[in-house]
Amino acid sequence: MINLVDPLKIAYGSILANRLRSLLTTMGVIIGVAAVITLVSMGEGAKSYIMNQIGSWGVGANSITIQPGNENSHSIEMTLTYEDAQALKQKVNNLQYLMTEIVGRGRLVYGKKEYKPGYTLGVSADYPFAYKQKAVEGRFFSHAEDSGRKRVVVIGKTVARNLFGEFSAIGENIKINGVGFKVIGLLEEKGTMLTYDMDDMVLIPSTLSELVLGTNKIWEMFITVENETQVPQAIKEIKKTLMARHRKEDFHIHTQQGLIDIVNNILNAMTGIVSAIAAISLLVGGIGIMNIMLVAVTERTREIGIRKAIGAKQRDIFLQFVFESVLITMSGAVIGISIGTLAAWGIMAYLKLNAVIAWGAVYLACLVAFLVGTFFGVYPAVRASKLDPVEALRFEV
Amino acid sequence: MSNNVVVRVTEVKRVYFMGKVEVNALRGINLKVEKGEFVSIMGPSGCGKSTLMHIVGCLDRPSSGHVHLDAVDIDELDDNSLAEIRNKKVGFVFQTFNLLPKLNAIENVELPLIYAGIGFDQRRKKAAELLEVVGLSDRLYHKPSELSGGQSQRVAIARSLANDPSIILADEPTGNLDSKSGDEIIHLFQELNSRGITLIIVTHDQEIANHSKRIVRLKDGLVVADDQVR
Repeated sequence: MINLVDPLKIAYGSILANRLRSLLTTMGVIIGVAAVITLVSMGEGAKSYIMNQIGSWGVGANSITIQPGNENSHSIEMTLTYEDAQALKQKVNNLQYLMTEIVGRGRLVYGKKEYKPGYTLGVSADYPFAYKQKAVEGRFFSHAEDSGRKRVVVIGKTVARNLFGEFSAIGENIKINGVGFKVIGLLEEKGTMLTYDMDDMVLIPSTLSELVLGTNKIWEMFITVENETQVPQAIKEIKKTLMARHRKEDFHIHTQQGLIDIVNNILNAMTGIVSAIAAISLLVGGIGIMNIMLVAVTERTREIGIRKAIGAKQRDIFLQFVFESVLITMSGAVIGISIGTLAAWGIMAYLKLNAVIAWGAVYLACLVAFLVGTFFGVYPAVRASKLDPVEALRFEV
Repeated sequence: MSNNVVVRVTEVKRVYFMGKVEVNALRGINLKVEKGEFVSIMGPSGCGKSTLMHIVGCLDRPSSGHVHLDAVDIDELDDNSLAEIRNKKVGFVFQTFNLLPKLNAIENVELPLIYAGIGFDQRRKKAAELLEVVGLSDRLYHKPSELSGGQSQRVAIARSLANDPSIILADEPTGNLDSKSGDEIIHLFQELNSRGITLIIVTHDQEIANHSKRIVRLKDGLVVADDQVR
């Protein structure tokens, strides 16, 4: 068997003997790898942040959104109705939740205080399940309360703070657009999503929308099925049902897959650009390594002569120099990965986000560094192994 | 052919080209060295002493003629086999010691054992023994820069003995040493020879040559004298 341990030790010794030069040699690799790891880790972090945002808004891969109007027409016709929703509830298999959303503007009055929230929505009782937003205080209204047109309201934190300050809102009576309501629940805090304050929101039963908001036209229907593999079948059933009722395609259907695809596409494009930069950096780094290895071969001609005189074969000398080159590049990769990871963490911490270590990129960086080290190390190593021992022994630096 | 013949050189010629000029370094050398001999090769600069050493030591190949080492015809061997012969059958000692400066004494002595594929524990032990033989058991971990010329040459001799070679070839081994160190080295060679080790040394110093058993004189690439001294 070929002895690989001893040439590896010899190569390691040579690198340690020239620490500074080895470090400078591999700088190109360090910079290239660090850049890739930083950007890819940040990209992965951004991706997981966006996915989380989408997920926390309740909009998972198992959800389907139906909006009124033809996708290609400019004006939005409000073509979806409460009856459509009831029909879908019966016709779509594996349906988990169906939430209708009617959007309007509300003016809230509590005693002498007045407040206009960002959104006043008429929603069905599936809202807390579909959007995964519970009531932290009090409760959400039930299906019975919705169909029974009970005047109950659930409010967001921002609304509560503006109307009630530090006091509990539960059980208080307020007026929305002049209609009296009882506050029965306070929504869990959601924070801002893409600059919208998700807590500046008031939810009333959808059946009261016409009375309070002056419209019963559904802005959006939100359906979830049990798992995402059922989404395509559900889309077919929705289309069939609505086409039967409307006789034309005056609605359009979205799934989250589209949004997820867009996010992925952007990040993949970014990764592609970064990889191209890294490839150039590694190429330049590799040439630098080859250059230094050629210098090292010349510098150590006498050492090579001595080694050959005492019995080193061509293969021994070849392995020694190739290992040296591979070790230098691999160390560069390891240093680059460390720097890149730290930098990504630093930057993302500054942006108050989490970096995700891109293990794929880490493994790839190691593999590429190995290949670069091997490729650019072979020629100098062949030159070293082919040196004539007598000439090499005579060589004076 | 006697089993005792270690080196047999037959009609060896070696031609170099320095630019377009043809240099006949060796012009038909015949030499036979038997086991246990201690031979000095003498002659003026450029007479081909070193070239002959390189050829006998399998570092170089003759342009024509034959070299047998332990009855093996070396011109039929490829480069790898020559490396193996240099490793196992030949021990080199150079004028400038040729130790690796970044390795300490014991590591330098270990080198031929590494290339012979000997494991770490075994080669450390062997290297330590050899350094004891040359009288340096208290300098195992000194780097060449921390050793005197005489000590460095002892390390080099220990290294040449590492794989129990058939022959030691020493090219001007005392050339870079003061006379006291030189004497010590030559006495070390005598001691090794008395243990049965075959030696060829190249020198232009008659004093040194007088310590050997046989003196071969070269001139212009030919053997001009071959005398048994003792």
